[in-house]
Amino acid sequence: MSDIVVPEGLWDTTKTPEGIVGNWFYRDGSMVEAGAKIAELMVEKTLFDIVAPAKGRLHIVVPKDGVVKPGTLIGRIDGV
Amino acid sequence: MPSSNRILTMSHAIAEGIANEMRSDPSVFVMGEDIAAYGGIFGATSGLLAEFGEGRVRDTPISETAFIGAGVGAAMAGMRPIVELMFVDFFGVCMDAIYNLAAKNIYFSGGNCKVPLVIMTATGGGYSDAGQHSQTLHATFAHMPGLKIAVPSNAYDAKGLMISAIRDDGPVLYMFHKGLQGLAWMASPEKAATEVPDEAYKIPFGEAKVVRPGKDATIVTLSMMVHHSLEAAEQLARDGIDTEVIDLRTLVPLDRDAVFKSVAKTGRLIVVDEDYSSFGLTAEIITSVVERDPTVLKAKPRRLAYPDIPIPYSRPMEQFALPNAGKIAETVRETVMKGH
Repeated sequence: MSDIVVPEGLWDTTKTPEGIVGNWFYRDGSMVEAGAKIAELMVEKTLFDIVAPAKGRLHIVVPKDGVVKPGTLIGRIDGV
Repeated sequence: MPSSNRILTMSHAIAEGIANEMRSDPSVFVMGEDIAAYGGIFGATSGLLAEFGEGRVRDTPISETAFIGAGVGAAMAGMRPIVELMFVDFFGVCMDAIYNLAAKNIYFSGGNCKVPLVIMTATGGGYSDAGQHSQTLHATFAHMPGLKIAVPSNAYDAKGLMISAIRDDGPVLYMFHKGLQGLAWMASPEKAATEVPDEAYKIPFGEAKVVRPGKDATIVTLSMMVHHSLEAAEQLARDGIDTEVIDLRTLVPLDRDAVFKSVAKTGRLIVVDEDYSSFGLTAEIITSVVERDPTVLKAKPRRLAYPDIPIPYSRPMEQFALPNAGKIAETVRETVMKGH
């Protein structure tokens, strides 16, 4: 099991405390490859890509439009 | 395939289609306002600058007159440019390059010059951006000979139509609806994002798609209104009315055969368009059926389009004027129930 976490320091939270999950590129329960671009976050109008930390089955914790901060657990990947 | 189950938004699908072609053909490049560093204000060129650099992904000054004209010239000189007209509403200052140069130069040169230009542009309203940023203008461009016109309704079609547009030796106007792009800051219908293959593929121009089969009535539509029409068809199905929905996908060339075939089967035609009502797409579709054989119709044909007014900024006023699922369902219901 690998956690998908919004990286610390991804954006300046003193200016913009929160962002949202803009899109997930795989459905909940899909198989994903390590390194695949699986989601994008939107902070103000800037997009940040999130890549899969491991190969396996994706479990989405924070759905599209959910609010996130650096450190937020947004999903998990079950290794297969 | 690692990505066979990957869901892309329409904006990413367009950008990926462009990237596929840029990798395989060095003559393809992109230019426009905020298309490089920002990735296009509606995301259609996101990620391209990082992969291909400033030489092939070029931010331009705010002069459509200059850079659409430059696109025509570059195309005639052997390149395959994609130029983004940020909002279709801005065509006024560059229309000479579009309809007197791009659309006509193949003919005026006796076929000696190709013009493999793609003009990509954002259309549509519904998000309170007022009358100079909300139009679709499908008919304004489809009316004039010499341009092909692609209007995707979902990510899969968007990528395939973009690749067909880039490979075409004539000028193509590629019109994407802002509300279908899947941007984090603008709501988008769920079905606009689809599974999209990694590799390049084409969707041929002039082939409409039956996106929902039905036997009682035919809705002919495109772009955002495909999604409203599908929602209407779901409502109608609960009343036992089985509606066929046709997504035109390209306006030029126009798949009149697919429209006629469907109407010959259902006997009822409702055309739905976000463009203005009069002198438009809706009339063209209805005429193409009636001219061929009016006896296939069991009821008078109907059109549902934007009223002939500049688009209001006020949300209640704009939403009142826009076609939507409820209005579409009511129009179909009247056609099926009353038959006249």
